[in-house]
Amino acid sequence: MTPNRHGSARIEFPNELDVLITREFDAPIALVFDVLTKPEHVSKWGATPPDQMKVCEIDLRVGGTYHHVFVTEDGTECSFRGTYLEIEPPVRTVETWLFDGWPDAEAVETMQLHETEGVTTLTMRLAFRDQAGRDHMTRFDGQEESFDAMEDILRSLLETETVPE
Amino acid sequence: MSISEYDGRVARASTTSDVFNAIAEADRRDILDVLTTGEKAVGAIVTQLSLSQPQVSKHLKVLSEVGLVRSRAEGRLRLYRLEPARLRPLHDWLAKYEQAWNDRLDRIDDYLQELQQQGDGSDT
Repeated sequence: MTPNRHGSARIEFPNELDVLITREFDAPIALVFDVLTKPEHVSKWGATPPDQMKVCEIDLRVGGTYHHVFVTEDGTECSFRGTYLEIEPPVRTVETWLFDGWPDAEAVETMQLHETEGVTTLTMRLAFRDQAGRDHMTRFDGQEESFDAMEDILRSLLETETVPE
Repeated sequence: MSISEYDGRVARASTTSDVFNAIAEADRRDILDVLTTGEKAVGAIVTQLSLSQPQVSKHLKVLSEVGLVRSRAEGRLRLYRLEPARLRPLHDWLAKYEQAWNDRLDRIDDYLQELQQQGDGSDT
């Protein structure tokens, strides 16, 4: 029996510029790599229902580009694109990441896979070029201050005392 | 490929609250951090942080105004403690951010399981 890993992703803000996400999958590394990098697979899991994935283009080679477009229920389109900088199947890809809605927030995304006894660990690192970029991901309305320390405090508070519902 | 498409939507959710402004200041976060270990007088906070007593008092005033800390008098001392319920908006924001990632990674997980079940039968 494989354990239910739903909801088990770890999300960290290790410094001013990075977001780090870790998650395990009960699948061999080669399959996980394919599912994360081949358009015929990505198009299956890419969109959050009821959104749809309208464009899923992936040219998986160094210098190749990808382009994903999602369409929400009300017809709003979200477009993401980037260029592959490194490809090392089945363990690693490095690519630029650009959301058309935030043209100033280009990031470099590193996807790293590691398999131990049939369990593949995915580590995603999203490294923004500058803090203004990363703050798009983490700031509150108009809030320029970083989220790092806040997150640590929040977690320690939640561990020591229960926030009432 | 990118599995981070939807972060933007979460980050752009409107979360206007004084709590966010109060906690955006580094010294005030340090004070909150000190208070996670329990109720403390101003003097105890001053000795733990490299801040002056007037600075700490000023920050405690801001934190009290937004309800993140509460104080009570004990003899001649005024003791400050955290009011964790007021961190709810922050907690909700972090939970939503984590939820967006988890949803996405769960879909990958389900899809991987589906593929492997199919693979057991024919496609090897």
